[in-house]
Amino acid sequence: MGIMYKKILAAVNEHVNAEVAARYAMHLAKATGARIYLCYVAEKGIPDEAFRHAEESVKRLFHRAREMEVDAESVVATGSPAAEIKKLVLSEGIDLVFTATRHEDVNKRFYEGTTARRLSLSLPCSVALVRVVHLGRIHPGKLLVPLKARMCHISEWSYFTAMLARSFGSSVHLLHLTRPASTFFHGELHMSTSEWEKKIPHDISGFIHRLDHYGITHEKKLHPGRTGRNIMIEAAVKRHDLIIMGASERGLLRSLIRGNPVEEVLKETPCNLIILKLRHEDT
Amino acid sequence: MKIHNLSREDVFLNLVTSENGLSSSEARKRLNEFGPNEIRETSKTPLTVKFLRQFTHLLAVLLWIGAGLSFISEALHPGEGMLNLGLAIVAVIILNAIFTFIQEYRAEKAIEILRQLLPFQVRVIREGREVLIVAREVVPGDVILLSEGLKVPADARIIESANLMANNAPLTGEAEPVPLDSKPFCGELIESRNIAFAGSSIVSGRGCAVVFASGMSSEFGRIARLTSAVETGMSPLQKEIVKITRFIAVMASVMGIVFFMIGRLIGRSFWENFIFTIGLIVANVPEGLLPTVTLALVMGGRRMLKKKVLIKTLASVETLGSVTFICTDKTGTLTLNNMDLRQIAYGDRVFAADQIRSSRAEALFTTAYLCNNACHTDGRYIGDPTEVAILRASREFLGSRDSKRVFEIPFDSERKRMTTVNLVDGRTKAFTKGAAESIIPLCTHILLDGKSVPLEGERLDRIAETCRGLMDSGLRVLAFSYRDLGLAPPVDVHPKQIESGMVFAGLIGLEDPPRPEVREAVARCHGAGIKIAMITGDASRTAVAIAREIGLLKGEPEVIEGRDLATMSDRQLADRISGKEIIFARMTPKHKMRVVSVLQEMGERVAVTGDGVNDAPALKKADIGIAMGIAGTDVAKEAADMILLDDNFATIVNAIEEGRTVFENIRKFITYIFAHGTPEAIPYILFALIRIPLPLTVMQILAIDLGTETIPALALGVEPPESDVMKRPPRPRDKGLINSAVLIRGYLFLGFISTAGVLTAYFHVLLAGGWYWGMALPADAPLARQASTATFLSIVLMQIGTALACRTMTQSVAGRGLLSNSLMLWGILTEVLLSIFIIYHPWANRLFSTAPLGISVWLIMVPFMLLVIVADETRKYLYRGKVANKD
Repeated sequence: MGIMYKKILAAVNEHVNAEVAARYAMHLAKATGARIYLCYVAEKGIPDEAFRHAEESVKRLFHRAREMEVDAESVVATGSPAAEIKKLVLSEGIDLVFTATRHEDVNKRFYEGTTARRLSLSLPCSVALVRVVHLGRIHPGKLLVPLKARMCHISEWSYFTAMLARSFGSSVHLLHLTRPASTFFHGELHMSTSEWEKKIPHDISGFIHRLDHYGITHEKKLHPGRTGRNIMIEAAVKRHDLIIMGASERGLLRSLIRGNPVEEVLKETPCNLIILKLRHEDT
Repeated sequence: MKIHNLSREDVFLNLVTSENGLSSSEARKRLNEFGPNEIRETSKTPLTVKFLRQFTHLLAVLLWIGAGLSFISEALHPGEGMLNLGLAIVAVIILNAIFTFIQEYRAEKAIEILRQLLPFQVRVIREGREVLIVAREVVPGDVILLSEGLKVPADARIIESANLMANNAPLTGEAEPVPLDSKPFCGELIESRNIAFAGSSIVSGRGCAVVFASGMSSEFGRIARLTSAVETGMSPLQKEIVKITRFIAVMASVMGIVFFMIGRLIGRSFWENFIFTIGLIVANVPEGLLPTVTLALVMGGRRMLKKKVLIKTLASVETLGSVTFICTDKTGTLTLNNMDLRQIAYGDRVFAADQIRSSRAEALFTTAYLCNNACHTDGRYIGDPTEVAILRASREFLGSRDSKRVFEIPFDSERKRMTTVNLVDGRTKAFTKGAAESIIPLCTHILLDGKSVPLEGERLDRIAETCRGLMDSGLRVLAFSYRDLGLAPPVDVHPKQIESGMVFAGLIGLEDPPRPEVREAVARCHGAGIKIAMITGDASRTAVAIAREIGLLKGEPEVIEGRDLATMSDRQLADRISGKEIIFARMTPKHKMRVVSVLQEMGERVAVTGDGVNDAPALKKADIGIAMGIAGTDVAKEAADMILLDDNFATIVNAIEEGRTVFENIRKFITYIFAHGTPEAIPYILFALIRIPLPLTVMQILAIDLGTETIPALALGVEPPESDVMKRPPRPRDKGLINSAVLIRGYLFLGFISTAGVLTAYFHVLLAGGWYWGMALPADAPLARQASTATFLSIVLMQIGTALACRTMTQSVAGRGLLSNSLMLWGILTEVLLSIFIIYHPWANRLFSTAPLGISVWLIMVPFMLLVIVADETRKYLYRGKVANKD
């Protein structure tokens, strides 16, 4: 299937959610045999305490990587995190960067911009943006993967999902979200699960086929209705531990008019969330 | 691996904290990372937006266009009354918006009540010191201190505990407190004994715990999120109304455009055509439909209240009628929740409870008496119904018993047993009671003829057989055992040590009798094609036996237990429950929402009962969430669509009958409203095509639609149910309010008879007044006004006949009795008086362009009124004959 992660970078800082995101990165590195770069970039004028916390975090992660027998390298630099990480990505040929976003960042993602958003937009490699809301689900046992009809980077997305599931021994639950079937005069139509399944789009079939190829067992479900809301409800009802979804392709204007399901889930996710901005083109 | 699986050290490592807690700066940082520890409402469409949407749906847009054209027309051609018409149309839009909004409106207070279950302040350790902080500022990694009487602010992993017991009722529905300790737990997080969950309260002991999930990420937040985020969507009635409005909007627009073009082709002026088009659209739009539907639902809701059902969302009145599946709790809903001892087994025999005399039952009753948390004070028994029943029987057998309880290992739903250690007659004894499968493995001996003998082989089989026999009689079975621990109380409490090597004392079978009216209610549901699934925490055999007793089961049911459900995929669950009789046994409320979701995906319209906080998501998810009025928590009541004031299953069935009746009645008055569309539209079309004087003004149409016919339409909304309403299967999803039968009966059958009467009256007045074919008559000429007034009056009078005919769909209206619907009589009287006012009062003459009429018009219309009734009776007779032949 062509995709392989050889070098994964985890952006670490003084925040605990960055450490949790780095743990995910480390497990993925373990499953893919990749080398992990634990990278901390100290901004100018950062308080000593924050610097100390970040350093301790890198140490803890490095120690854990050795325990897990993951090839790890720690990188500490000073300057602008986005710029320094970009430099490192280019010089080392990084395939994937893990970065975390915080509660306070969620509302200003679009309008003011955050380091995490800048990284996901500017880096030439794939980016996994992690939002941590629950510290108790250390190894996610149930992964929820919302899918839509037209998807890009299916190969990489399925590879990422399969490897993460393999590393944690998680079950994968695919959620195909679609608009309700309706006609002008009859309004919304009820369709049975088997009727819906006959209409599974080609891209989703491709995703399923790839998961099968990696030997990952999965359960699939189709849900007509509001995308963001239904992802959150499904995750809450079934107590999923981690949601993995693709980054939004909607621009600011379209998001303002039609809403943005990815931003909606990012804001109100009931469990930890990874948003993937992928770069590997499908072959 | 999750937090509850970890050792204390690993907990600190993973949460990046220590037993000294977080520093203040780290806590501040984490507050920014994770957000405040609070229960928030999921973002929702604001009420104002919801209200404004009522002005933008297709029918409203059509009416806005009509109003806009009227205002333009008034501006270009002043003095033709188009301003009044425009204002009237705007008033109609506002009226309809208000009434539709009322239907959809529901006050949401569940989240507010959930918030109150969290504490305001909490004691935490920060930088090694104990501090009191606002609960909102608790963050993951905080070490919180727990002690008796405190509420838990967030999900936290216990790291120290001393006799710590928590009441998890808001999460699990179990009122019994559970012991908490700090040992790693291998199982599901929600069932872990080392987690203190947000919203639970500490009943006794003390301890400390590290927070790992706060606010909406906690289990409590999960309930709040689901309660807030789950939207049932539009009710079946709302969907039907959307369909109707789309149908009418398209029909009115097409007719308007077509006849505008025909008018142009036959040479009428633009403005004549313009006015005509607006008139035709107004004639086709049933302006009174939405207010009438809303008022019918209000009245339906009031009738339901008399039947002990409180409706919270108006649209639910009708949704009830479309229910195809009821998921009901057993205890208290199907049964009386009056536990009573029925049978007792000790030694190797089974006895009826009222026949126990032998002293050999003493060990069993002593155990039952002492291992019991009910109490007898001031001549009254207080406690859980099961405990009270056991204590009462034990007291009656033993009299009062002196003993000192040393400690208790409380009941919990995982262990399915409780144990007390008591000092009895100078000795320390352990007494245990619980589910038979939980007690028997603890026992090594059994008491036979007063002697303790080994419990093995055939004796074990006999106990199991006795237990099955009791369960098959529908009894809730509890097993009892005891152990003599010696003279001194045990120093350390280790349940495993105390609850071992016990002597089996016997079994008690308790009956919770079914409510007397439930059997008939279940039969009515079956007759009405409604499936019922019992959801109970009882064992499957007990559940099946009760279900058989109340007639819920005819064949072998599909029994699904809670633990099986947890391992099934949705597809597997759907396959298991599809087309079968179902019993959900050993269930907890957390499973309900999943059951409801799967049933809805299978196309069922689901009603579900619930009373606990954690029932709230399922109550919201179901098409109809039914909260218990007596046993229900405030959260459940807020989340539900209706509240059963008597907690009785039979009341649900009565409410469904009322819901079906409301649906039928709405269909009746839609037929009635449609029936006037034809006599309003056809004279207009003739006016356009054959150049007769304007037969009806737009204001007269509005006077009919919003005035004269409103109360008779409402009266049709309160018609009593037809006798077969609960003998028909639920209407299929694709079978809406309007179908071809309703359209043909309304527009064509009743509509054309009415039109015949209307045109007769109209031409009678014109011809009697000297008009001849081709004679031009200005709209404000006295004769033209009289003729349009005759059209108005004849439509009103034909609607009286139509209203009487529409009182039944298929059965003869003769069997109803004229006085059985007094509102109908008042409605007809009001209709006639209002018409007299519009026709004979000068002020109304000016507003509606009417003129007084002679008695002859009234007399001409009487035979037509009767013709409508007779013709429809003939149709019903032929229909009944056809159905009888088919059967």
